[in-house]
Amino acid sequence: MNRRKTKPFSADFWVKAFAYFLIAFLAIACLYPLIMVLSVSFSDNTAVTKYGYSAIPQDFSTDTYLYLFVHSGTRILRSYAVTICITIIGTILSMIITSMISFALSIRALKYRNQIAYICNFTIIFSAGLIPWYYVCTNWYHLTDSYAGLILPTVFSVWSMFLMRTYFDAVPQSLYESAKIDGASYMKIYVSIAIPLCKTAMLTVGLMYALGYWNDWWNALMFINDRDKFPLQYFLYNILSNVNAISSGRVPSGAAANIKLPSETVKMAVTMITIGPIIFLYPFIQKYFVDGIMTGAVKE
Amino acid sequence: MRKEFKKNRELYLMCVPALLVLLAFAYIPMAGIWMAFTKYNIKDGIFGSEFVGLQNFKYFFTSSTGMGPKVIKNTLVINFWGLIFGTILPITIAICFNEVRGKIFKKVTQSAMFFPYFLSWVVVGAIVYAFFSTDTGMVNRMLANGGHDIVRWYAEKKYWKPIIITADVWKWAGYNSIIYMAAMTNFDASLYDAASVDGANRFQQILHITLPLIKPTVVVLSLMSIGRIFFGDFGMIYGIVGNNSLLYEEVAVIDTYVYSAMRSLGFSYTTAIGLFQSVMGLILVTLSNKLAKKVNEGEGLF
Repeated sequence: MNRRKTKPFSADFWVKAFAYFLIAFLAIACLYPLIMVLSVSFSDNTAVTKYGYSAIPQDFSTDTYLYLFVHSGTRILRSYAVTICITIIGTILSMIITSMISFALSIRALKYRNQIAYICNFTIIFSAGLIPWYYVCTNWYHLTDSYAGLILPTVFSVWSMFLMRTYFDAVPQSLYESAKIDGASYMKIYVSIAIPLCKTAMLTVGLMYALGYWNDWWNALMFINDRDKFPLQYFLYNILSNVNAISSGRVPSGAAANIKLPSETVKMAVTMITIGPIIFLYPFIQKYFVDGIMTGAVKE
Repeated sequence: MRKEFKKNRELYLMCVPALLVLLAFAYIPMAGIWMAFTKYNIKDGIFGSEFVGLQNFKYFFTSSTGMGPKVIKNTLVINFWGLIFGTILPITIAICFNEVRGKIFKKVTQSAMFFPYFLSWVVVGAIVYAFFSTDTGMVNRMLANGGHDIVRWYAEKKYWKPIIITADVWKWAGYNSIIYMAAMTNFDASLYDAASVDGANRFQQILHITLPLIKPTVVVLSLMSIGRIFFGDFGMIYGIVGNNSLLYEEVAVIDTYVYSAMRSLGFSYTTAIGLFQSVMGLILVTLSNKLAKKVNEGEGLF
């Protein structure tokens, strides 16, 4: 039916025309800002100050990137290193914790699985709120200015556990049972049967965690005061919020002169550096995210 | 019970790390809720400080600054419009996607629309800045080129609710449209064929088949959002406007207010606000879960 030829200017024609127009328009609306950021980062700063932001580089130059890596290079590279380490260590920890509990809860023989799931669910429905959480994290666990503060608070996501359980639940229990009869322990079943069978799931949830760690700056905002421990996103946040304060006129002009403002091109170059790895990996990782969203959605 | 733990010891041990994380970061903090009913001071600690009953809550709703009702209103308004546009646009995208042909066109456009989901709010904040910065921003350049007066966007609070709602919808449109597309792949194709044979055009098919079929998904997703309508998106607000005091009154949501009042107004007051928020959340989530079960044939939200 879909192959049927659409007559020009019929109702079907207009539906189609509208659909093409809207999709194309929105796709451009989603890409355009990025192209603008990219082009400004490759522009000459004086040209940008004079003519403003545009989607075509003005007086193309790579000076900004050279400047960033030569002059404030150590700072940025340091933040990069922090973010990369946090992402790798955090993702591995998260995956171990999440996949173990998801696997355990997918075993029907586990008598108290519903009770354990409820303990997890309840944290979604009700939380103590920011302040008690902050109090406990800083006063009791001493997470201030520690790398643990960038990982531990978000190391286990109940939503990710839900998603992973959906995949584990799809594995036929009979596979486990026969392995059990052969004398395999649950740990062995988990490592050599469940995980290999759910490779896509592991990759999907792992990438979601990794994206979360890469993009996280909330934990840094809460706990990190030491500039040497700033992750990349928080580094960018600090650059932008200084700018924000001055362009709102909130900082008196005398004080503004004392704050060294990063140039327009620097701001956009740091933004590009922050999202660079995501852009390069995007073609390869996109399908796993789509898969994850669809799996979660179909369950609903 | 002991027998069960012995038999499945391994499985229970596998749950322990996750449960420890929840204990440390979700359950132990609940003890701190007590601060909401006291006048907390460091010397006496959480449980030694003077008990003041509901005074902190009262202050939130009736203080002369009026910030309490203001931030509640901001939270509800931003979430409400975010929910409305954040539902309409993704559904429209999903429906339109069904109408277009061409594998490459579809792949490229879907990738483009999904991309904003991968950006952090800080990066979105940088993009918003690129548009609205006073001296170099694109919008002011366009205004100037058109002979209009430029606007000091970052000092004019009245524009920021729409800007933030737009950014929110922009970031999530692609993501949410995937959810609706997932729902639409399950629709019975024979319904469309039958309608086509009866002479219904595509628009009528969308109106009378697609929309009614997608309604349950819309209801469930909306109920989920309504359950969280008292929770503002801290990252979104802070990532886009930071702690800009000129825009504060217009865009501060409960969550950002709690954070910024933490140091000036103290732990007890801000804990009380957080508790109010959590209780509202608990009530609304429970209610919407009940409703979802009704429309969704017995399946709740979780």
